[in-house]
Order: sequence, then structure tokens, then C-alpha cells
Amino acid sequence: MTEVLLKSENLARAFGGVQAVAGVSLSLPAGQVTALVGPNGAGKTTTFNLITGNLRADSGTAHVRGKPVMGLKPWQVARLGVARSFQDLRLFTHMTVRENVLAATETAAWFWQPGGARARATREDRAVTALEATGLSALADARAVDLAYAERKFLSMARVLAADADIWLLDEPASGLDLSSRLRFGELLRAATARGVAICLIEHNLDVVAELSDRIAFLDQGRVLAEGDPQSILRDPALAAIYFGDRPQEAA
Amino acid sequence: MLFLQLLLNGLQVGAIYALTAAGFALIFGATKIFHVAHGTAFTIAGYVFLFAWRAGWPGWAGAAAAVLAAMAFGVAMERYVYRPIQRHEGSFFTVFVAAFGVGIVVQNVIGMIAGRGFATVDTPLSFSAEILPDVFVAPMLWISLATAAVLFIALTVFLTRHPAGVGLRALSQNPDLVRTYGLSSNGLSVLAFAIGSALAAPAAIVTVMTTGLNEAIGHQVMLISIAATIVGGIGSLRGAALAGMMLGIAESLALQFVDTQWAEAVSFLVLFGFIIFRPSGIFGVVQTR
Amino acid sequence: MTAFLLNLATLAAISGILASTLNFIVGYAGIFSVAHAVFFGLGAYGGAQVALLLVPDPFLACFVAALIAGGLSLCLALPALRVRGEYFVAASLGLQMVAATLFAELKPLTGGIGGLVGIPRPEIFGTVVPVLPLALAALALILFLTARLQRGAFGRTLQSIRDADSAAEALGKNVNAAKTLAVAFACAGAGVAGALYALHLSFINVESFTLDQSIQIMAMVIIGGTGTLWGPLVGAIMLLSLPAVLSFIPFIPPTEVGAVQQIIYGLAMTLLMIFRPAGLVGDQTKGRSTS
Repeated sequence: MTEVLLKSENLARAFGGVQAVAGVSLSLPAGQVTALVGPNGAGKTTTFNLITGNLRADSGTAHVRGKPVMGLKPWQVARLGVARSFQDLRLFTHMTVRENVLAATETAAWFWQPGGARARATREDRAVTALEATGLSALADARAVDLAYAERKFLSMARVLAADADIWLLDEPASGLDLSSRLRFGELLRAATARGVAICLIEHNLDVVAELSDRIAFLDQGRVLAEGDPQSILRDPALAAIYFGDRPQEAA
Repeated sequence: MLFLQLLLNGLQVGAIYALTAAGFALIFGATKIFHVAHGTAFTIAGYVFLFAWRAGWPGWAGAAAAVLAAMAFGVAMERYVYRPIQRHEGSFFTVFVAAFGVGIVVQNVIGMIAGRGFATVDTPLSFSAEILPDVFVAPMLWISLATAAVLFIALTVFLTRHPAGVGLRALSQNPDLVRTYGLSSNGLSVLAFAIGSALAAPAAIVTVMTTGLNEAIGHQVMLISIAATIVGGIGSLRGAALAGMMLGIAESLALQFVDTQWAEAVSFLVLFGFIIFRPSGIFGVVQTR
Repeated sequence: MTAFLLNLATLAAISGILASTLNFIVGYAGIFSVAHAVFFGLGAYGGAQVALLLVPDPFLACFVAALIAGGLSLCLALPALRVRGEYFVAASLGLQMVAATLFAELKPLTGGIGGLVGIPRPEIFGTVVPVLPLALAALALILFLTARLQRGAFGRTLQSIRDADSAAEALGKNVNAAKTLAVAFACAGAGVAGALYALHLSFINVESFTLDQSIQIMAMVIIGGTGTLWGPLVGAIMLLSLPAVLSFIPFIPPTEVGAVQQIIYGLAMTLLMIFRPAGLVGDQTKGRSTS
């Protein structure tokens, strides 16, 4: 069994009367891609937000490499090695592609960055590597707002890549990508898992899920209904029924 | 008795604040434009009434001219300043600076034409009479309160009954919705500016007839409108009007404890406190960050 | 004539500091403060009191001014951490109004409406020195620092917060600390400008620290171009030389020069926002700060 880098237990959060997340326990092992699958409103993004400290959980715990992260601020969670992407990307629109990626390598908010010239060189190397891996090197001086759709998605990935984290939480990173972009995206993930990165991705397209993931956690109504290898989960007719919206109890 | 006197003064100031703040809130709600030149509409209306009065026009004609002038100014702002800005980039700050520039221009043009300093019209309506021992009230107080009340009822009826009013409310809740249903949101935004600016006119007329106004009063009116809108909760017309009334009363009652020059600071202290501790205002939904 | 030009140059340098520091938070951090004159005033009163009560040492005055303005900048940082956009502008307006009242009323510290008079000329090692070289040195230092900060990691951090604060936070940036630091830096700079202003004029009162002044500084930044290094300086020089230029135009009566000047810069603000929102110096193709 490989090392579990991120582990959540019984995470729960209600909004008003709606139980958005109702006790999600999730483990992300190093070197594996875990897909978070489920119908709209199942609580996938909310789970991310609870782990990263963007939302406060009503109950439950989460640990990053054994360190509790509940109650930490998002930037503190990030510095433990958790990088995330957003469904709406949230690029730094008026900065250039290179600046976007460089910004991801710099964490401290002070007037200066710690580590001096050597650390800076390392950061710049990381930025260059991230740009190459995402195929954005030629666009380094373009502004994020001027990029095409797929390029924006890759820029959001480049930021995650440059952040040098070993836990990636990706919110619909592959949606809307054409086949060739998706292949390159798959390579990115493979290269990362080979280095031992634990990846969790939210994805709606089940073909993409089958193609990219090593494990699937199936979420519905704020609960993990099933967890396991892609083949068994994707073939389960009960889950498919829920996923495609004909819930037996509601059909009546 | 001082308390009662201050309270009554506060009601009059509050009625003026409530009217201007409601106009500002209506415009902001329906168009999402932070119309900082709202105080300028107030100034223009006030001076139009002043000049009409001095030219010997009857009061109602002056008032009508003032309302029309305020509406024309509001619509012109929408047409020639806000819409072109929103067509290209239109960050809220661009809008803010442009409107502020207009405010500065109008203030100085009026200063050059009408002279600087306070101007007022004297009518029998603004002479105070002693209604209780040591409590003086001018008929203007009742007139301004009645005006404010009537206008609010009219506005509420318009916003709930008339299709265009319903459209305005829909626009403030969800701009996309209106577009889907084919109501012209351009037309509605002109309407919002016309009505919102018109609401500043009665307040300006009352001000001319009581405390008087100067060319720089627009600043203060704008600031109070913003304060009331935020304290009341952005998006809530009733909240803005109520907060305007409360700020007016608070300023006046504060005089019991502090000197006049502090009175205005009271409103801004309240505003500052609200922004830090309850940015959603009294009636608003939380929408920070 | 020389005296006139020297005075103008000194005021231009001081305004340049104000405009550059305001530009730092407006253009890079997206913190749209209309309370910059408050910190200018705090520095002026602080610097003046140092000169009046202790020694007319310009460095000490500037240091104390920076300390006071930078410390009290928390009053501006606090709303900047809580709210953004219109709300923040409203909060800074509120701060400006309350501060102007305090300046006018706290007579023991500020001299009230009458202000502080007879501020001694600055002395270095017992020799009286003019303020101009000091102001130019301070301006150069501030420009150098802002240029360094803007190009470096801190500038990127601020810009990333301006464009998408939640994403910046998700990348490990302590958003609150960065905003607080940026505001403190800008306000401390305004404080230094205030101390120099007090030493230069040897008289200050609340008139120089009101909303009008804040708007004028804002106009300098906007007209020159937000988010550029030289734009604010260009804007400062233009707005300051405007009254001088106007006084040479014969048909404007001297009593109206002030009003005409205000009309011109009001018009400039409006027309620029409609037709050239990046300012005179700003690159029109590059996007403006949004919020």
C-alpha cells in the first residue's frame, strides 16, 4: 500500500438546511489519480473547499501527511503542499503567462522572497519547466486574458505544476478540451504521478475518467457512495442510474 | 425638550437623506453603477429651483423645472458617460472617476455662475413657530415628511404594480433574467436614472427652502447617499431610505453630546463601522469578497 | 521667478511622491483609496511637531512621519482586507471625512483650523537646507523602491491578488499580510511627503488634507496612467503647473483661476475615462486594473 498523502474523515458542511457534504472520507495515495465523480450538487467542489480551508467544516477532519489542516487558512494549507485549480480557472488575467506561473512559485507575501539568488534561480527553473510541460513557452509574454480556451486551462495547470506541491486538487481540469489537448493533459498527470504526486480530480466526462484515473470515489448527496477501481465503479448499473439522473425513488 | 427639538430636526434632515439615498440605491440596484454624480443631480435641481424662484416663477413651476433638470442630468450621465465606459472596459473604478470628474466640473461651473457660498430662498413655510415650550417647528418639516412619505408610497406602488417597475426590480435581482424575457435593459437603465435622479429634486428643494445650499453640497449628498445605501444594505431600497432617515436623526441627536462640526463625522463613523463589522448592511445579504 | 520655479519644483516632487505611492496600491494592488490625503496629513502634522518640539532635523521628521502614517495605515488596511470594490471606496471616503474632522478639531496636536505655524526650516548639522534636494532624493528613493517592488515578487503577489485573490491564496500567498504591507508602504511614503511639505511651507492646516486633496492626488494618478512608473509623476507635474499656466491666460479673472483649474481637471478625468482609460502614459493595449 502506498503512502496516503491526504486523508479526510467525515467532513460535513451544511448551507442553510441543505447538507452539501455529509461525512466525506477520502484518501489520496501518492502516485495515484483519484477521480471524484457524481451528479451536479453532489458536493465535489465543496469537499475541495473544506479541505483547502476556503470553507469551514461543520465537523470532520482532514490531514495532509499526518498534519491536521482543519482551521488553517487556504494559504497555510497551500504551503503544506496542496495545490488546486478552479473550475472557473481564476487566472491572473492582466498578468502575462510567465508572470502567472512565476507568481505560483513565490509563496511568501513579504517585500522580499526568502532564499536569495539560488532560490530565485530554482523558482525560475520551475516556471520554465512548467511552461514547457504545458506547451505554453511560446506564449510566455501573452496576457492570460488574451489566451484561447484550451491555453487558459493549461495555464491553470501550469500554475499547479509550478507550485511544486505533491497533492493536486483539480476541479474539472479536462472539461472542454479536444482530444489532442486531453492526451497532453493525460501525459502531465502521468508525469506527476510518476514523481509520487497524489492527484484528485473532479470530472464529468466518464470517458475521461476511465482514461485518466486509477481510482474513483463516487459522490452523491454529500456522501461517498462507492470507492474503487474505475472498471467496477463505472460498470455498476445502480451508480450509473444515479449519475444519469433517473433516481429510482424519485421516478415514482 | 432639547431632545425633542433635535429629534424633529433630525426627522427633516432624515427625510432629505432618505429621498436621495433611495434614488442612489435604485440606480445602483438596477444598473450596478456606483453613481457618485448623484449629489450633482441634487445640486443642479437645487440651483434650478433657486433661479426659478428668483426669476419670479411660481413654486410649482420651479419644482417641475428642478425635477426635469435632475432627470435630464441623470439620463445624460447614463447616455454619454456610463454607457460608453461600460461598452469598452468599464471597471467600477473607471466609472467612479468619470462621475467624480463630472461632479467637480458642475460644482465649479455653478460656483462661477451663481457665486460661491450659501444661497437660500425665504418663504413663510420655513418660519418656525413654537409648538411646545422651547420646541420650534416650521411647516417645512411636515411638508418634507409628507413629500417623502408620498413619494415612497408612489415608488413602492410603481415598483410592485407597473410592468416597468417590476422590470426594474427584476433587473436588480438578475440582469440576465430581464434580457431573456425581452425587456430592454437599456431602456430600463435609462428609466432607473430618470426616477432615481428625480428623487433627488424634492430633497434639494426642501434644502434650498430651509438650510440653503452651496455649490459644493453635492459632495456631501453623494457621501450620505453612499453611506445610507451601504448601511441599509446594498440592493434594498427600503433599507437605504430607512438608513438615510436614521443617519439624519443620528447626526441631529449627536448634537446633544458633541459640537456641530462633529455631526457629519457621525454618519461616516457609522458607515466605517458597518463596512468593517457588517458589510452586508442592516437588510442586505452577506456578499463580501 | 527662480523662487517661483523652485517652489513649484519642490511641490511637484512632493506631489510626485504622493501620486507614486497612491499608484502603488491603486495600480498594483487594486486598492482604490480616496483617503491618501489623510496619511499625507498625518505625516505633515507628525513631521511639523517633531520640528516644533524637538529638532528641525528633516530625517527625523520624515522618519517619524513615516512611522505614524505607516502605523495608522491599519485604519485603511482593515477595510481593504474585509471588502473590495465600491465598498472599499466608500470606507475610504468615510475614513477621509472622519480624519478631516479630527484634523480640524484636535487643536493640541494639529492646531485646529488655524493649523500649525512657524515650523522651523530644516537643518542638517546646524545648517539650514532647502527642502527641494530632500524632496527630490525622497522622490528618487520612492520611485526606485516602487519600481523594484513592482517588478519583483511582491509586485506579482499584489497583482495576482488584484486579479484573483482566492487563486493567489490557493497558491500559498498570505493575502492579508501582502495587502497590509502594501498599504503600509504607500501610506508611509505619503507620510514622508507630508513631513517635507510641512518643512517646506512652514505652515500647514487641514485645508491641504481634505477629500479635495485626495481627489487631486487620484486625478494625478489617473491622468498620468495607473500601473505605470512615470505616469503619476507626469500627472503630478501637469496638474501642478496648470494654475501657473492659467495665470498667464489674460481673459480668466484671477478669482476664477482656481475654478477653471478644477473644471479642467474634472473634465480631464471624465474624458480620459471615456476615451483613454489607461491614462496618458499607460499602454492602451494592456488591460487596466479591474476589480
